[in-house]
Formats: sequence, C-alpha cells, structure tokens
Amino acid sequence: MELQLGLSLPSTPIFPFKMLDLNSYGYELREGLGPFGINVNNNCDSCSSSCSSSSSGGADDGGGGTKKRRLLDEENRIVPKTLPLLFWTNQRPNDEDEPKDVDDHSSSAIFKNDGEGLVGWPPVKAWRKKVRRRVANVRAAVENSCGGRASSSTYVKVKMEGNAIARKIDISLHHSFESLTTTLMRMFDISDENGQKSFKLTYLDREGDWLLAEDVPWRTFIGSLKCIKLIRSRC
Amino acid sequence: MQKEMAYSFPDEVLKHVFSFIQSDKDRNAVSLVCKSWYEIERWCRRKVFIGNCYAVSPRMVIRRFPEVRSIELKGKPHFADFNLVPDGWGGYVLQWIAEMAGAYPWLGEIRLKRMVVTDESLELIAKSFKNFKVLVLFSCEGFSTDGLAAIAASCKNLRELDLRESEVDDLSGHWLAQFPETCTSLVSLNISCLGSDEVSFSALERLVDRCPNLRSLQLNRAVTLDKIANILRRAPQLVDFGTGNYAAELQPDVFSNLAGAFSSCKELKSLSGFWDVVPAYLPALYSICPRLTSLNLSYATIQSPDLIKLVSHCPRLQRLLVLDYVEDSGLEELASSCKDLQELRVFPSDPFGVEPNVSLTEQGLVAVSLGCPKLQSVLYFCRRMSNAALVTIAQNCPNLTRFRLCIIEPKTPDYLTLDPLDAGFGAIVEHCKDLRRLSLSGLLTDHVFEYIGTYGKKLEMLSVAFAGDSDLGLHHVLSGCESLRKLEIRDCPFGDKALLANAAKLETMRSLWMSSCAVSFGACKLLGQKMPKLNVEVIDETEPPDSRPESYPVDKLYIYKSVAGPRFDMPPFVWSMDEAVKILH
Repeated sequence: MELQLGLSLPSTPIFPFKMLDLNSYGYELREGLGPFGINVNNNCDSCSSSCSSSSSGGADDGGGGTKKRRLLDEENRIVPKTLPLLFWTNQRPNDEDEPKDVDDHSSSAIFKNDGEGLVGWPPVKAWRKKVRRRVANVRAAVENSCGGRASSSTYVKVKMEGNAIARKIDISLHHSFESLTTTLMRMFDISDENGQKSFKLTYLDREGDWLLAEDVPWRTFIGSLKCIKLIRSRC
Repeated sequence: MQKEMAYSFPDEVLKHVFSFIQSDKDRNAVSLVCKSWYEIERWCRRKVFIGNCYAVSPRMVIRRFPEVRSIELKGKPHFADFNLVPDGWGGYVLQWIAEMAGAYPWLGEIRLKRMVVTDESLELIAKSFKNFKVLVLFSCEGFSTDGLAAIAASCKNLRELDLRESEVDDLSGHWLAQFPETCTSLVSLNISCLGSDEVSFSALERLVDRCPNLRSLQLNRAVTLDKIANILRRAPQLVDFGTGNYAAELQPDVFSNLAGAFSSCKELKSLSGFWDVVPAYLPALYSICPRLTSLNLSYATIQSPDLIKLVSHCPRLQRLLVLDYVEDSGLEELASSCKDLQELRVFPSDPFGVEPNVSLTEQGLVAVSLGCPKLQSVLYFCRRMSNAALVTIAQNCPNLTRFRLCIIEPKTPDYLTLDPLDAGFGAIVEHCKDLRRLSLSGLLTDHVFEYIGTYGKKLEMLSVAFAGDSDLGLHHVLSGCESLRKLEIRDCPFGDKALLANAAKLETMRSLWMSSCAVSFGACKLLGQKMPKLNVEVIDETEPPDSRPESYPVDKLYIYKSVAGPRFDMPPFVWSMDEAVKILH
C-alpha cells in the first residue's frame, strides 16, 4: 500500500475547507458526552450524527470523506475511519510531490547534538543517571590512578591457584579489600576455615612484580593493579 | 414499559448502586446512559483521574463533579523523563489547588505525576483540606522540605506521603519532626528521593514507633545500614520496605542484628532501595526471601554471582528490577527459580559506554520468556537483538501486556542476519493480543508499523525512536491502532502527510509527541486552525517557528485533545497553533 497525495502540501490552498463543516465542534462539554473514553468508532458516529443535524455543506463532494457510510456506498472505496484533512489513497506514490527541502531538514534534524551525543538517549530516567554518574566517577578515579589502562573498562583478570579458569571482576565496584575479598570468595566458592583465611590475595603491579595485597593501602593497590591471583595460604 | 423502568428507582437507590462502580471507564459509561443518570452520577463521583492536566480546566471539573474527594493529575509528557521537554514547559499544579481549595473542602487525596509543585501549593494544601489523607508526588519538582514541613505539621490524619522520584530542594532535615506527636495514622511513607543529609533519623524513628499501621516505608540514602535494624524492629508489620544505603564494613554483630531484624518482619513482601550494596550483607535477607514477591535492585551495583545467589532464594518473586550486571547467566537462574515472575526490568549499568561492559544479550530475555510463563511486563536494555529471539519471546509469552525493548545503539539491525527487526516486533504484536504498551528500538522500516497497525488493536501506548522510512509508517499506526491513546515519536522521518490525513484520530487520543521529525510549521498551523478540539503546541528553544519558511520542520510538537482551549501558561519557547491565541499576540 503506497501513498498518493491527492492534494499538494501547504504551499497551495490544501483543501477546499467549505467541504468540511467543523462548526459543529465547540468547547463546551456536550451533554451526554462523557469524558474521553470514547473510541474512534463512537466518536465518528457521534460526529456524523451531529454533522448531519447541523448544516453540512461539504459531505456531498468527493474529496471530503465526512460521511463514512455514504462514501462506501457511493464510491465503493476503502475510506479511513478518520476525518482526513488530506485524503490517503492506495495508489503508487508520486515522488515528484516530495519537496526536497523537507527531506534535507529531516536528515539534519536527527542527529542534532553531534559531539554531545543524543539528547535523551538511551531513555534512562534522570533519576537513574545520578547513580550512573557515581559509578562513572569511580571509574574515572580508577583510570586516573591507573593511567593508561588499555580499555575503558575497569575489569581485571582474577586467577585462583589450582583453578584453570580465569574470571574477570569490575574493580570499580569495590572500595575496600573487605568487599573485594568477599566477592572473590563467592566467585571462587572459597570459605574461611576456622577463622583462618585459606587464601591470600596477591596482585601483579605495573612494574611486573607480584605483591601481597594486604601489605599495601587500597589506593596504592588500585593504582598499580594489573591482575589478581589468589594463592593458598600456607601457615 | 421500558421507559418506566428508568424512573422506577429513586435517586438514592441509583446512587447506592453507583457507589460500587469504581473504575473511571465504567463511571463514564454510566453517565452516558441518560440525562438523569448523568446527573446522579456526577453528584456522587468521588474520584477523578485527569491524564493530562491541560485537557480540561479546574473550573470545568468542579462544575461537573461537585463532590470530589480524590484527584489524580498528570502533567508533562512522558518524554520529559529523558530531558526532551525543556524546563519551564508547564504542568503547574497551583491553579488546581487554588480552585479546589474553595470547591472541595473535603478533598482527601491528591496524586500528581510529572507536575511542578511549589511550596506555595503544598502550604495551600496543608491549609485548605481538613481531611487530607494522601499525597503522592511521582516525578514532581519545584518544592522543598519547607513545603513538606507544612504538610507534616497540618495534616492530622495523613495516611500516605509518597515522594517517589521527585526532585526536592533539601533545605533542612527537620521537616520530619513537624509531624505532631498525635500523628499516628501513617500507612505509607516514601522519602527515597531525599538527599543525603535531609532526614533527621531520630524524628524518623519516633514517627515509625507511633504509627502502628505503617505498611510501606522507603528510606533515603542517608540512612546507613546499621540503622536499618532499628527501624525494622519498630515496624515488624511492614509489607514494603526500601532500605537506604546497604553498605558497611562487614561486622558480624551488625550482620546478625540486621538478619534478626529482617526475620522478625513476617509480612514483608517487597524490597527496594539498595544503594551502595556490600554483597556480604545480602544473606541477611535470606530469611524473608521465600516470601518476597517484589525486589527492586535497580540501583544495586552487585555482580551476577551475588545476584544469582539472592534470586535463587526467592521462588515467589513476581517482580524484579535489576541492573544488567545480572547478565544472561543471572537471568537463566531467574528463569529456573522464579516461575511466578510477571514483571522484569533490566536497566543499563553503562548506557553511554561504547563497548558492552557486561555479558547481557538477547539470550537472557529469551531464557526468562521460556522459564516464566506468567511474564506480562518487560523493560529490557541490551546491545543486540535478533528477529529469531523476538519471535521466540513472542511465542513463549503470548500474555505480554507491556513490552519495552531498548537496544542501546539506534538503528541496530538483527545481529545474526543484519536485517531490520520488523519481523521480530511484528511477531510480538501478532502473538501478544493483549499488548497495551510497546516501545520499539533497533533498525526498523515502515513494515514494522504495518504489523503494528494490523495487529496492535489493544495497543494504548507506543514509543518510537529512530525508526521508519516514510509517512506510510505513521499512517499505519494512526489508522490501524484502534485503542491508541498515547503516541510518542522522536527522530523519525515522519512528515505532514500521515498526520494531516489522520487528523481526526488525534481527537480520540490523549496526546501525540513528535520531536526531531519532519512535520512542517505549515502543517502544524493547519492542524491548529482546523482542529479546535486539539491543542497544537510547537516547542522551539532556538527561534520562533514563524521566523522560518512554513515548509521548515518544527523541532518538537505536542498535540493533545482539550476541552479547555489553548493554555495561557506557556513559556516563550512554546507556541500554540490555535488561531485565537495568535490573534491575541
């Protein structure tokens, strides 16, 4: 189904509007008309009944389409249930009708905020963005202290001694060794035995040395961390 | 014979019968039966819902319904949530309050969404309504804790104060202390939106202590984890609880205290809050998890393994809100543990990142659709999708009523075939016959709109972005979707033709929003002239639309039906296309 404009766009007089009697629409709430829960069909029926009761000069002409029933009978066309200001037909489009300037404007309208990103996309509520900002700030802090991390992600590799499979962890979610070790213990299903830690947290720093995490402050750890390894505690 | 029937019941009897009819739709139908029913009904209508505060004037509402006790109003268009509606656009509630203050002395409930509420409005509410019980301010703004203090101080029988997602100017935490000692009536208190320092904890504790009917309490981030136990022990009857902060250094005594406090809440079914979560404290919830039906972890930056552990303890879960840290693996666990799931919302943890930061794909949603037969409502942010996955989801979940999919990169095609996602969304609308709300994303042509127009007969709300090829797309929707009430479109190549050809359809809808499309100023003027039942408003912050040629497209367009005529509180960047307003200018 394609569109043909039976009538041209705004620059020329679009529509002989004497055909469409809109005088029957008013601002007062009409009695018997409830609030806006009426669906299209009912609305059309009440419109056409009110149109017929008031003077309706226009319905006789072909282009108007005010009286659905009449058009179907007389002209045997598929008429939309709505009252059109333009008439939509099932014929091939006539490309010459497209004004070129509208197309030009529409393509530039789409990505307006070039460089700034799209406004309001993805559609995340401002509320949630506040949380995001907090996470992003942490990420930025981590990146600044790490300096020159290859990717924009704050994921680090974690290996466990005796376990072939390495995992990845988002280091920006943690602000203390406590929370880091808790998560790692869950991740690798380790538990403390008799209050003694069964594993030690070690890490590879930027200089290529393996260090014990508990020997350094958190900020230092974060600043030079390349990857993590859990080794069995030999006491 | 039949005529007599209509008059055989005295008004009192009809009134009594009508009092059992609560839904707006039914009430509207009742009022259409005959003149006398209209009259009786309007005198006994107690509750009014106004989906667009500019569709009708306060005076008109008061004139028709003189005895209203409860009112609900919505202001700004939905896209205001995503900063597409400039500040100062409108949605002011003050005039409504002022007029109702005189007309409805017994007004007890005010529920507002996306409206601008000033301290003056709140003070007026506090002063004017002696029987005030319920104040819900959902996504509102413009007021401070001073206004809240007025409400707290004056409303002796306040039952509900719910400020969810509102922007509040935090001036002082002492407003809570304004609740008099005699106030024991609180049932619901949601202050989750308040800032860090603006809640006096001791006042809160005392308030909770003296309100034995408190069922729903949502704290704000200022309340630290160690204080949660205190609150819970004072309100073991809570059904719905929002934690504040859920992070602290792990200490065994704090943990056991918290776990104990939670376990004493035998009615607790719904949890939210969870800012700054330390996963080690999640097991404190395990005792109540088996009863949980609703869990909102959408602020919790916890990883998939912890989420999986938690969710596996909640077999009765019906509603889950979560960040995409849950990953496909977490959703697979959800699908196997939570067979009662009805609603799932997965939010993006890094919506503006270029690379995916988590392993969440269409597979997670497919797994949930397979495992959770009762699924009705979906909001899903992800980075890739396929037609095959959408078809599977549609076939697995024919009972979906709300389906909102946001593929983060605009115009992303099916990642397997590189086709548009028309067929996938087409399957959704075809199989889900009760679908009421749909949000589209990804690469989409006019075909998807043909499917929507053909099958989306119950669709009431449609959100479209970066989709379609031509006016044909918009025409399919406007001419096919019989139940359509709200249509919001951004960045689509829809111009004048479909809009003008379906102008009358707009009178049957609540509203239409179009931004960054191709609707010309001339077409807007035409609609404004010829459709007096519609308010046609053009929004442009850069320059007046009539300073450019008529064929130039408008930036933003908001069209809504109204019996109140054009509004008079428009800011300088909003232009009404109504002829009458133009003359005044």
